[in-house]
Amino acid sequence: MPKISLIVASEKLDKLLPAATLATTAAIMGWESEMFFTFWGLLALKRGYEPKEVSSDYKVYEDSLRRAISSGAIPSWLEVLEQGKKTGKLKIYACSTTMDFLGLKVEDLVDYVDEVVGAASFLSKAKDSDITLFIS
Amino acid sequence: MKVDIVVDARYKSCPGPLLALAEAVMKASPGQIIMLLATDPAAPRDVKEWASSVGHKVLNIEKVDETYQIYLEVSR
Repeated sequence: MPKISLIVASEKLDKLLPAATLATTAAIMGWESEMFFTFWGLLALKRGYEPKEVSSDYKVYEDSLRRAISSGAIPSWLEVLEQGKKTGKLKIYACSTTMDFLGLKVEDLVDYVDEVVGAASFLSKAKDSDITLFIS
Repeated sequence: MKVDIVVDARYKSCPGPLLALAEAVMKASPGQIIMLLATDPAAPRDVKEWASSVGHKVLNIEKVDETYQIYLEVSR
């Protein structure tokens, strides 16, 4: 089966949603799928975090995106991610360096984080991916 | 066609219909027929791609007004 690896470096709604959509869709297609959350992307894995903002260039679309999510027309990023996790095919990694400079501990992160890893470990896991994407 | 499970994913955008279908398939038994209702124009092709990737069978796709009725046989 193919494999996809995504590096997520933003905590904004308009970045998290497409990243989760691709990672989860890959997982339900039976692909191996992995996401590495680094820099501001790691903020999205903090317990209780709920993305409400889009990137600053696209503020004009923020309300309509939020309405689409609250009406159920578009699933929330967490719903999407949780379904990916249910397949057992989606792995979520947190960047160790970012954990340090943000002062975060493993217990500050949501339960579905599989592992806290450094760059070399992630690269080693991702090296045989068919698709690699950097989302920021 | 005898339908065992109906999944209503009308007015949901990608990946909503596929996620709803995949969730239903996880709970279904082999041989059961699921009818997915979707209005997202990307749904028929997405479902076909997904089904061929994981080994389920798309039996038929009909369009009634703005709604696609996608019939899937659960294979495993």
